[in-house]
Amino acid sequence: MGLKAYLNDIVEAVVTTAKGMRITARYGVDPREEVTLQYPEERWEIPQGYRGFLHNDIKTCTACNMCVKVCPVDCISLESVRGADKKMVLCSYDINIGRCMYCGLCVEVCPVNSLMHTPGYEMASVTRGELILHFITEDAAEIKARVARQVAEAAAKAAALAAIKAVEVPSSGTAGPPAAGTPKPAEAQAAAKAAEVPSSGTEPTPAPEKKG
Amino acid sequence: MEALALSLVHAVPPLAGVPLWTVTLLLMVVAAAVILVFALTFEGVGSLVLRKVAGDIQARIGPNRVGPNGILQFLADGVKLVLKEDIIPANADRLLFKLAPYFVFVGSFAAFVVVPFGVGLIAADLNIGIYYVMAVTSLVVIGVLLAGWASNNKWALLGGMRAAAQIVSYEIPVGMALIPAVLIAGSLSLQDIVRSQGGLLGIFGWNLFHNPFTFFSFFLYFTAAQAETNQTPFDLPEAESELVSGYNVEYSGIRFGLFFLAEFGDMFIVAALSTACFLGGWNVPFFHVGTLPWIWGNLLSLGVFLTKAFAMVLIMMWVRWTLPRLRVDQLMRMAWKYLVPLTFVNLLGVSLWLLVFRGKGIPGMIASLFG
Repeated sequence: MGLKAYLNDIVEAVVTTAKGMRITARYGVDPREEVTLQYPEERWEIPQGYRGFLHNDIKTCTACNMCVKVCPVDCISLESVRGADKKMVLCSYDINIGRCMYCGLCVEVCPVNSLMHTPGYEMASVTRGELILHFITEDAAEIKARVARQVAEAAAKAAALAAIKAVEVPSSGTAGPPAAGTPKPAEAQAAAKAAEVPSSGTEPTPAPEKKG
Repeated sequence: MEALALSLVHAVPPLAGVPLWTVTLLLMVVAAAVILVFALTFEGVGSLVLRKVAGDIQARIGPNRVGPNGILQFLADGVKLVLKEDIIPANADRLLFKLAPYFVFVGSFAAFVVVPFGVGLIAADLNIGIYYVMAVTSLVVIGVLLAGWASNNKWALLGGMRAAAQIVSYEIPVGMALIPAVLIAGSLSLQDIVRSQGGLLGIFGWNLFHNPFTFFSFFLYFTAAQAETNQTPFDLPEAESELVSGYNVEYSGIRFGLFFLAEFGDMFIVAALSTACFLGGWNVPFFHVGTLPWIWGNLLSLGVFLTKAFAMVLIMMWVRWTLPRLRVDQLMRMAWKYLVPLTFVNLLGVSLWLLVFRGKGIPGMIASLFG
């Protein structure tokens, strides 16, 4: 190393140190450079389309099972039964938020937009069970029993209605449809009953829907 | 101290019956306590300021939870250090392990004896002041090496070895860079050195502006002293990222606290020495402090001295958070290939200057031109 390189080293050391110190001084005195967000007191603004915790509006949910099927980590599970009005009734709707990876696929597939992301992102618990969100607080068995009762009532009502109709049809409606006159009142009642039974059956929904 | 004790005995008649050495001893204890309190306060507040400066420079906030804006953080830290369990590793050399922090702390704290805080505020105006500081701060090497050895830990030993090599190497440039101030004052006493920078030239009376060589000398001293006291660009003995925490890795509680205090004490000593030797010490520009009443003169000079010293401490912190740590070979190369030759050349330059111009500096010559 010659003398020139030696002196060059010294000059470079001084110059680069001065340069670095100028930069740190700028950071030191300029309060706008501060990037710290003092979390519990200050929060960042949630951006639009932020995928936070999931929320299901159970009033609009149709229990279509799309979210359960699409969820890649199987964190959603639901149970439903066919209600009196032929629509599915939710018995339970649980999301294991500890397992959820916030991919948003379930929200995307939801046909009635009942499942949505909230801006929430804070949750802590001492047991993993607390991380399962129950959107239906009522006991599933109770709901099932209630729905079964309603279905039975509806079936009974329909049967009674059909019976009345069947009784009324031949007496008042002889002038009506001539072709319809063929079945006898008792047969009509039986046919109506037979038509009702399979659709309004009190048994719970088919097996695939209970999966998950 | 003897003179002060004598005047105290004269001033307070009831003390006449007490032997003079008792009064002197008591005065010494009081002086030591005052300086100890000052040192501890400086170290506490210094650690807080260090963290705040670090926060600012790194675009963070720094401690702000304890007390308003975090100003009580150092108290919390101190209480924590005192209350922590004092652990001694099973295979450590117990005696040396316990001894090491005291060596380090005493080596750092003893240097406060000759720090010229004000016109009359100095614990002992030794006629070998600078020499004493150099000698006493070398005690730190032994403490650090002992700590590294006694911990029976590879990292600690490596840190101790590095510290020994580093401090011994950098003693030379530090001494050589301080000698110009000694040459100009013609005395090793720090009070004499400070007095030699007074006069009517104001800040141009400072040794810093005496001649170009002393100007460089200041920066050389500052660099070498940072290395000698293991400040951050040269903190190889405790390099957190390589040696976990270096020589003090096995220490906890108050013993670790002593190392910590010594580090900050060294910081202040470096700042105080550079202030006293190059930045005019307690001299108030254009003004003779000695002409004021004793108490006001001392307070004013104390204020001036502390302002300069704390400014230097801030600059040290600034450097600390700017530069990355050197490698061991780079550190040694810097000492032996750059700082040692440069300080020697510098010393030669100052000596020749003083010989040729009969001890006059550039500002003095300019002033004499205008009468």
